[in-house]
Amino acid sequence: MLLIPCPHCGLREESEFTYGGPCRDLPALDGQSDAGTWSQAFHMGKNPRGPLRELWYHSSGCEAWIEVTRDTASHEIIPGGQT
Amino acid sequence: MRRLPAGGLIDRSQTLHFTFDGEMMTGHPGDTLASALLAGGRHLVARSLKYHRPRGIMSAGLEEPSAMVTVRDETGSTPNLKVTEVPLREGLQVSSQNALPSLEKDRAAALGLMGKTISAGFYYKTFMWPQGAWHQRFARLIRQAAGHGKVDPSPDPALYDKRRKSCDVLVIGSGPAGLSAAVTAAQSGATVILMEQDHVLGGSLLSSDATLQGLSAQDWAEDAEEALRVLSNVTVMPRTLAFGQYDHGLVQAVETLPEGSSCQAVFWKIRAKRILLAAGAIERPLVFPGNDRPGIMLAGAVRSYIRRFAVAPGRSAVVAVADPQERADTVAALREAGISIAADLPAGARLLATQGKRHLTGLAWRDAQGRKQRTPCDLLAMSAGWMPTAHLFAQMGERLSFSDQTQSLLPPETDGPLRPIGGARAVLDSADCIADGKAAAHQAMAELEMHKHLNLSRPSPAPASAEVFAAGKGKAFVDFQNDVTRDDVALAQREGYRDVELTKRYTTLGMGSDQGKTSWTNGVLEIAALSGREAAEIGHTTYRPPYSPVSLGALVGAGTGMQMTPILRTPFHSGFEKLGCVFQTSGDWLYSRYFPQPGETMAQAIEREARAVRSSLGCVDMSTLGKIDVQGSDALEFLSRLYCNNFAAIKPGRLRYALMLREDGYVFDDGTIACLGAEHFLVTATTANAGSVWRHMQKCAQVEWPELDVSLTDVSDHWASLAIAGPNARKLLEALGPDFEASRQAFPFAAVREGQLDGLPARVFSVSFSGELSYEINVPAGFAEALLARVMERGAEWNITPYGLETLDVLRIEKGHLSVGTEIDGRRTPGDLGMGGMVSKKKDFLGRALLQRPGLQAEGREQLVGLVPEDGSTIIPYAAHLSDSELDAKGCAATIGHLTAAIESPSLGHPIALGFLRDGRNRIGDVLWAHSPVAGASVRVRVTAPCFYDPEGERLHG
Amino acid sequence: MGYSAFSILGHALTANKHWQAAVGTPEMRTSYDVVIIGGGGHGLATAYYLAQEHGITNVAVLEAGWIGGGNTARNTTIVRSDYLLNSSFRLKDFALRLWADLSRDLNFNLMYEPRGYVDLAHSDGELEHFTLRANAMRLGGAEASILTGDALQERVPELDMASPKRFPIAGALVQEAGGVVRHDAVAWGFARKASQAGIHVFQNCPVTGIEVRGGKLQAIETPKGRIACGKALISVAGASTQVAALAGLELPLNSVNVQAFVTEPVKPALDTVVNYNAGYSYVSQTSKGEFVLGGATDGYSSFARRGSFERIEDVLARALQMFPFLSRLRLMRHWSGIADIPMDGNAILGPTPVEGLMINAGWGYAGFKATPAVGHQMAALLATGQLPELLQPFAYERFALGAEQDDAGAGPYPWLH
Repeated sequence: MLLIPCPHCGLREESEFTYGGPCRDLPALDGQSDAGTWSQAFHMGKNPRGPLRELWYHSSGCEAWIEVTRDTASHEIIPGGQT
Repeated sequence: MRRLPAGGLIDRSQTLHFTFDGEMMTGHPGDTLASALLAGGRHLVARSLKYHRPRGIMSAGLEEPSAMVTVRDETGSTPNLKVTEVPLREGLQVSSQNALPSLEKDRAAALGLMGKTISAGFYYKTFMWPQGAWHQRFARLIRQAAGHGKVDPSPDPALYDKRRKSCDVLVIGSGPAGLSAAVTAAQSGATVILMEQDHVLGGSLLSSDATLQGLSAQDWAEDAEEALRVLSNVTVMPRTLAFGQYDHGLVQAVETLPEGSSCQAVFWKIRAKRILLAAGAIERPLVFPGNDRPGIMLAGAVRSYIRRFAVAPGRSAVVAVADPQERADTVAALREAGISIAADLPAGARLLATQGKRHLTGLAWRDAQGRKQRTPCDLLAMSAGWMPTAHLFAQMGERLSFSDQTQSLLPPETDGPLRPIGGARAVLDSADCIADGKAAAHQAMAELEMHKHLNLSRPSPAPASAEVFAAGKGKAFVDFQNDVTRDDVALAQREGYRDVELTKRYTTLGMGSDQGKTSWTNGVLEIAALSGREAAEIGHTTYRPPYSPVSLGALVGAGTGMQMTPILRTPFHSGFEKLGCVFQTSGDWLYSRYFPQPGETMAQAIEREARAVRSSLGCVDMSTLGKIDVQGSDALEFLSRLYCNNFAAIKPGRLRYALMLREDGYVFDDGTIACLGAEHFLVTATTANAGSVWRHMQKCAQVEWPELDVSLTDVSDHWASLAIAGPNARKLLEALGPDFEASRQAFPFAAVREGQLDGLPARVFSVSFSGELSYEINVPAGFAEALLARVMERGAEWNITPYGLETLDVLRIEKGHLSVGTEIDGRRTPGDLGMGGMVSKKKDFLGRALLQRPGLQAEGREQLVGLVPEDGSTIIPYAAHLSDSELDAKGCAATIGHLTAAIESPSLGHPIALGFLRDGRNRIGDVLWAHSPVAGASVRVRVTAPCFYDPEGERLHG
Repeated sequence: MGYSAFSILGHALTANKHWQAAVGTPEMRTSYDVVIIGGGGHGLATAYYLAQEHGITNVAVLEAGWIGGGNTARNTTIVRSDYLLNSSFRLKDFALRLWADLSRDLNFNLMYEPRGYVDLAHSDGELEHFTLRANAMRLGGAEASILTGDALQERVPELDMASPKRFPIAGALVQEAGGVVRHDAVAWGFARKASQAGIHVFQNCPVTGIEVRGGKLQAIETPKGRIACGKALISVAGASTQVAALAGLELPLNSVNVQAFVTEPVKPALDTVVNYNAGYSYVSQTSKGEFVLGGATDGYSSFARRGSFERIEDVLARALQMFPFLSRLRLMRHWSGIADIPMDGNAILGPTPVEGLMINAGWGYAGFKATPAVGHQMAALLATGQLPELLQPFAYERFALGAEQDDAGAGPYPWLH
C-alpha cells in the first residue's frame, strides 16, 4: 500500500485516498474547442511506464485534490516531481 | 523413547498429550509437533503428492517441504500444517494426509510404479478423448489425487484482528544478527520492533554450541533479550511471521497469539523507516537417488532436534555435509546425543541409493576411489550448503544474483528501506552475524540522522565449501513437496520449457506451499548443469508473498458477515421501524423498502401505497440524496459549467432540474439546483452518485477552475429529508405550521422556502419524483423523528401513508422519470433520454465538446420509450429485450433494445414498461416483441412516449 | 509425434529421452509475411490460426520474455461469456465455443472444465439486471439461467446462503458452459502447434523499434536483427502503450494493477466458479487443489506488478461471505498483472492509423477468456485485410467518433473498470 504525501496532512495511507487519474491539460470551456481537440486531450496517452503526474483525492482526510508525481514502475513518489 | 535425558529448551516438568492418527503421544512445552513426533520415534508422517512415497520430517523450520498434517483443536481442523511450525499443545489431534487407508499402507503408492509415465506435464499430453472426457472423467480423478489435506467445512469460530504500528527500525528475525541489530538500534534511541516467527528468541543460537563473547550462545541470546526488555522504545513480537514486504516500508505480519487468548491471530501492518531482515538461511538438501526417505534430514535440523529439543532423531547416522566445519559440528551433536556415526562421508563421495521401505535402513555410496559401500543407518544428516532467506527483499521485484562463491542466490547492496543482514546475506558464523547486525543497525541510524556515521565494516558472505557430493542415477528429488525429480527438470529442458519460469510451471518445481524454500536453488543448479549454462545466467522466478502461508481468517480480521462494510441508516430509520417498515440493503444504505400492513404481501403493500399517493397523501424518505451547498461570487458560473442545461436566470427561491454530463458527453447524474441567494445554491445528487458527484465537483473547484470563487460543503448528512406527496400535500404542509406562505401562488412548483414549520427549522423544496404535488421537507438531521411524528400525526386527517423505495420506483416509472443504474446507465446522451432539448447551445460546459462527436449525435441511437402490452393486459416480463421478430427455432432473436423497468401500474391499471429502443422516438405506435427467455415469455408491446401518467404535468401544481 | 496415452507409454519405456521440444529455436529471417509482437496466449493463438485457417506460416512471433509470461500466466483462468453488450458477448461466446474443442485441435490438453460460472446478485434490482444479461445471452444463442433460493443452493451446495451477510444473496446468473482452462497450457498448446506448422517463435526477443515510412509499416527491429514486414500485430497487453509508441501511436488506455492469489492446495471442496458481485470476489478451485481468487483492479496507474494488499483483504472478506470454511485455509501466494484498460473498459482491436500495423490491446483483466476468438479473428484480419464483423465494434477510432463499448457504464476512467 502506498504512502501518499498530502500537503496538508503529511504522509498518509493510500486507503484514505481516491484515485483521480493522470493529470490532463483539458481545453478551456470557452466554446472554442471541438470534439477532436477534446478527444486528443482527454482520451489519449498519459500512460507512461515511469514518472506520472497524477491526481489523488484525500477523501477520508482533508478532501483536497492533490497532485503527486509517482513512478508507475517502482511506485516511488518523486518529491516536487514534474514530468 | 528418543528423548534425551537432559538438555534442550523443553520443560520436562509438564507432559502434553496429543494423538497422531489416533495413537496417543506425548511431549513437553517447548516442543514442536515435529520434535514431539520424533521424540516418540515417528519419522513417517506423510505421503508425497504424486507418487505417494513415504515422507518424514526433513527440517526443523518453515522450509519443511513434506511433513504436512491436519491438526484438529477446539476450533476445528486445519489442513497442510507443517509439523515443524506447530507448537505442541495439549489435546491436539494430528492426522496424516493424502494416504488411504493408512500412512503405512497407502494404496496409491502403486502410482510410484507408473514412474516415467506420470513425469512432468504428462497431463497436458493426454486425457483429451473423446470431447468432454477431461471434464467429465479425468479431471475429477486428478483433482481427487491432488490437493494434500481436506478442508474443514464447519464455520471457523476463531476470532481474528488487524492492527497497525510504525517504528524507526524493524528487525525481522532474532538470531545473532537480528538481536545484535535490535540492541544496537534500540540503545541508540530508535523505536524498534523485533519480530520473531518462533515463540522464543534466539534463532540459530538455540541450537548452537558456539561461545560468543565468553557466553554460551543461548546465554548470549538471553542477555540480548534482557537488554531489549528493559528499553521502552522496543517492542518484541514473538510468534509473529513477517510474510511480506510492500511499498513504502510496509511489512505485513501475522502474530499467532498464545493458547488461551481470546483472539487467535492478529494481522499486523507495520511501517518502518528501515527494515533489517535477519531471517537467517535455509539449508540446501543433497539431490541424489532416494533422497526423500524418512530418516533423511538436513544436518542443521538434526543439530536443532538434538540441542534445542533434546531429541535423538536416530540411532545410527550417516553424515553427508559439504562444509567441513558444519560437518564437524554435526558429528559433535550426534555424539552428544549418543547417536553412533555409521559413516562420515568424505567430500567427493557419490551417493547412489538409499534403502528402507518406510524408514531409512541404509545408504549405498561410492567413495572417492570408486569403491561401492553399503552403510546401514537410520539417519542421514545432509547438507549441500546454505541459502540466504532473502525472500522479503526479493518480493519487491529486486533480483537476487547467483554467487559462485556462496553457491546461492544473494541479495545485492541496496539503498531501499529493507536491508538483509546476517544469514539473509549469507553471513553464517554467529560472531560475524553479531558484527553484521551491529554495522547494519549503525548504518540505518546514520541514514535516519539518529547517530553519527561510524562506517563499521561488514563481514563478507561465507564462501561455500569447495567440496561437493556427487550423485548416482535414479529418482532424485529436487522439489520434495511436488515430487519433482531431476529427470522432470531434464524433461522440461528437453521439451523446450527452458526459461526458469517455464521450467517451474511445466514441472511445478517450487510451486508448493513451501514455495520452493529447499528446492529452488537446487533447481537452478540442475537447470544450469543440464543446459551447460552458468547458474548466474539462469536467474530465478519471482519471489511472491507470503513468505510462508498465513491464515485467511487472520487476513480478513473482524470484517466478516455483517461487519464487512458499514451500513448507513437514514435519520428516519428508528421512526420507520416503529411504522413497520421492511428495510433492504442496497449499496451503502439500508433503505425503507415498503410498509406492509398485517397480512399484506409486498405487491399488495406497494399497490396500496401507490394508490394512497395518487389519491391523497404519502410520505417517503429522501435523505439518501446527495446535498451539496455551493457558495461564492462565482457559484452560478461554477454550476453553469458543471450542468448542461441553462439556468442563468434562476432567481432566489426557485429551483431547476439539472443534468450533469461526464467529460465525454454522456449523462452522469441528474438533480436539482435550488437558489438560496444570489451567491448561494443547494444542489442535489442521486443516491448512487452522491459520492462521485461530490468528488467531481471538488475536483472541478480545486483543480480545473481554481480561479472561480466558490466554496463547497457536503451537507448530505446534515439534513433529514422527507417528501410528502399527493393531492393533499399542500394541506399537510399548511397544517405543519410554516412561517412562510405555502399557497399555490406563493410557493409554486420548483421553488424553495427556508423557514420554520411550527418551530422546526426547515427547508422545503417543491419538487416531485412521483408526479404528484410534492414537497421535500428538509430539517436538521437531529429533528428527523420530530418531523416524522408531526407529519404522521397531522397527516392522519388525509390518511397519510408512508411508502418506501418500491413504491417510489413504481410512481417514477409511471411518470417516466429517470433512475441511475437503469436509465442513466453510463451509456446515454441527453438526447437518448429525451432531454436533448435541455442541452444549452448558448454556453460551454463540461461534456459539450465530446457530446458533439458523430456517434453521440447519430440518428437512430437507442432512445428511451414507453411500452404497453398490445392487448392491454398481458404482463410485460421485466428485463426483456426488444425485437422486431419472433424467436427463431433456436430461441434466438436479433434485438433492437431492452427494458429498463416493467411494472403493473396501479394508477393505470395495466402493465407498462420503460426501455431503450433503437430509433425509438420514430417508432412510437409500432408493435414489437418483448422477449424474456429466462421468464419463458414473449409479449407483443406497443411503443409509446415514456411518460404514462399526467404527461402535461398538471398534478405537480396541485 | 502427437501427444496421447500411447506416446506417453512409449516415451516412458525410453526414459522420456526422446520427447521433442514443444517450441523450436529457429534462426531469424530478415523478413516475414507477418510479425506478431507478443508471445502470450493472444499472439500465439493468432499465429496458430494464421497457419491453421489461412495457410500462412511465414510468420514470426516475438516475445520479450518467455511465452505466456504476461497476463496469460497471471489470470484466474476463468472463461465465460455473460456480457450485456452484444459486441462483448459475441466475441467471448465465440471463444467459449472454440475452447470446447481446442484441446483436441491443438493435441494439447488445455483442461477446459465447464464447471459452470455463477455470478451472485445481492438485491432484486441487481438480479433484474442479471436477468437482462441472461436474456441477452439466450437471445444471442448461448445458455444462461437465473437461479434463486433452493435452486441456487442445490446448484452450489458449498455456498453459504444462510448466515447474515452485509450483501445478501438474492440470486445468481449461471452459465454452465463457463468454467476454467489451464492458463499456461493455452500458451504452450498454441505455441507448439504454430511451431510445428513452421511459424517461428522467438523468446527473450524484445521489439526495439517499429519502422514506419509514409504512414506505412516497413519493419520491426529487434536485438536479433531487423525484420522487414508489411503486416504486424501488436498483442502485448500490459506493454501496449510502450510498444505502440515505437510506431508513434498513442493509445486511449491506462495500465493498472490486478491481483490474484491462491490458497494452499486441499482436496476438492468447490466445483463451480463463483463470483460475489458486490465489489467482486471470484473464487474457484484449481485442479491442483488451490483456491484461486481475484477481484477488481487496484485502481491506479501501475506497471509495478505489485499491488495494495487491501485489495486482497477486500476480496477475501467477500469470499468468506460465500464460503466461510475458507477462513481456515492459508494464503500461499499472491501476484499481479498489468491490465491495460481503455477509456470504455473494452478492447481495442483492428487496424491502426499506421498502414499494415494492427493492434490487439486493452483487454484489461478480461482477455484470457477471449484468447482463441481474438486469435481466430485477428488471423482473419491479417490474412485477408478485411476487418471481421466481430471485431468492428472495437475499432481504435471509436473514442474520437463516439462509439464506446462500455459494458459497465463506468465511464472514461480506466481505473474504475
